[in-house]
Amino acid sequence: VTHRRRRVAVVCLVAAAAAIVLAGPAAAATRVTFVQGEQNATVARPGDGLADAVAALMAGPTAAERTAQIRSYIPPRTQVRSVSQAGTVATIDLGSRFVAGTDSDALLARLSQVVATATAVPGVRSVRVLIQGGVPLGLFPGINATVPLTTRALRTPDVARPRPTPERRTPATRGTRGAQQRLADLGYLLPSGVDGQPGPATTTAVIAFQKWEGLQRDGVLGPATLARLRTATRPTARTRGGSGRRAEVLIDRQLVLAIRDNRVVRALHVSTGKPSTPTPVGSFSVYAQFPRWWSTPFREWLLWASPFVGGVAMHQFPDVPVYAASHGCVRVPEANARWLFRFISVGDPVRVLAASR
Amino acid sequence: MRRLAATAAALVALAIGAAPAATQQTAPAPTISPGVLTVALDLPSEGFQVGAVAGSQVVFARGFEVDLARSVARRMGLRATFVNSASFGDVVAPGPKPWDVAFAQVSILSGRRAAIDYTIPYLQVDQGVLLRRGLGPTPRTLAALARLKLCVQATTTGAAVVARTVRPATRARAYADVTALIQALSTGRCDAVVYDAPSLAVLRSEVPRRVGPMAGVIPTAERYGGVTADGSRLTPALNVALRGLLDDGTVTALTTKWLSIDVSALKPLR
Repeated sequence: VTHRRRRVAVVCLVAAAAAIVLAGPAAAATRVTFVQGEQNATVARPGDGLADAVAALMAGPTAAERTAQIRSYIPPRTQVRSVSQAGTVATIDLGSRFVAGTDSDALLARLSQVVATATAVPGVRSVRVLIQGGVPLGLFPGINATVPLTTRALRTPDVARPRPTPERRTPATRGTRGAQQRLADLGYLLPSGVDGQPGPATTTAVIAFQKWEGLQRDGVLGPATLARLRTATRPTARTRGGSGRRAEVLIDRQLVLAIRDNRVVRALHVSTGKPSTPTPVGSFSVYAQFPRWWSTPFREWLLWASPFVGGVAMHQFPDVPVYAASHGCVRVPEANARWLFRFISVGDPVRVLAASR
Repeated sequence: MRRLAATAAALVALAIGAAPAATQQTAPAPTISPGVLTVALDLPSEGFQVGAVAGSQVVFARGFEVDLARSVARRMGLRATFVNSASFGDVVAPGPKPWDVAFAQVSILSGRRAAIDYTIPYLQVDQGVLLRRGLGPTPRTLAALARLKLCVQATTTGAAVVARTVRPATRARAYADVTALIQALSTGRCDAVVYDAPSLAVLRSEVPRRVGPMAGVIPTAERYGGVTADGSRLTPALNVALRGLLDDGTVTALTTKWLSIDVSALKPLR
């Protein structure tokens, strides 16, 4: 199943890339790599050869591309000191601005952009990246950049696959069971989650409830939350859709509504793109599903991923704060990620709404 | 003694913000290149020093020891330039040095004193134990640690501590540099690595999803000192500069900036 899904996804990606290339000018074109969500995104630019490609990369995405949340992690005004090629190895010497900042995600993402852009030039198979004319030592966390880098190497996972967090048994309490039953009745918790035991499933359900109701997002069944639980009603879809399954991503509430036949089956606590890398707003549909998806720019595993535009996906992530924090994706807590992955299918609509009230 | 007095005067001048005048009053320090403090590094080590090298020349560098070296040079009325040592072994080997001082996380060990001189210490560290992601129960004792697949960087204190104190059931794997060491940990080839605690803490903060938690520290209370050639006439001036930076809070501020991880909260493994 995994293989078939992957093939479907590859076909979709190739088709998307082809569409973008076709939309570009008919003259000689280079391919330049940026980042959209958690994956590299390739766009066409006029020109040909390594120097043109690197110049276009440094120029960054167009306004239209930025609207689609295609972005560059290369700091503006990064100096290109020299670009050369010997055999199949390109050497790109960049100013020290290229390694500005200590955010390892940003450092790794910009390195992937340079490597993917250069190796897309015909005849280039690997890239030696220099900083101020020197070989980088320790500047890209976890990457040995003293040797020429290939896209293939960056696409190859070098991190052990995350395993499910073992469940901790905690003593059941009657109060918890009562609240869980209400949360399940309202669509925040699965019926199987009504076990009387506090835990991550209950906490994420409480946060989702608090987000929908506009309460303080602390995940705790405090007096205000318990009082509201007694009178609350099931969340309702914000938009009208056809019959069948779909999802709404509510950016202001940081929630995903899983909807069947216009009824909210579940409301899930999620974290969307942070202000500098927001989740694109609009109507999309799930174009592939991967139980495990390797993020090439950020070098990490995304589990239970359902991408709906480029590298922007709903996926499991270990860290799902109550605010928007991602690179543009929709982070789903472990307690709900597999459920959502199974609820939604390739082709199902995903509508991202900035305002849901 | 006279040099000490002159430098002390320079420090006072620096304190009141008259640095250029102070430079003129200070007797020129006997450095390899006039006006320049040539500092040897041993790149890379997360938090302490990372950068880019062209041959032995360091063309770009940042980190705790890089800022420390620049501050020391400024106190001495000099400009810092950096060279990268071919290996850690070269830094502590006997013989003349093509640099004035090395800042490279070198522990002050009495056994090395025959070959090299040290400055006064600028940082005290323990060895840290960083686990791979998804490892079962966290080892709380040295005995539990000894049952794991351990990895170290060759010729470091971590390697020595594992061999002498932990004594693992299977010999620890040794890697040439810290990048390879952490790579082995994130791919699961090692259960745990033993290395300088602040470096591991910085590394973990950079790539939190690639590695597991810190299990704790193995107390060694090593003190890092700058290295100078045996009998170097520069050592007293370096010490005055370092003492000034320790006393006025500069070193603490640099620790916060680059190594802002509270390793004191980690439990010792015994």
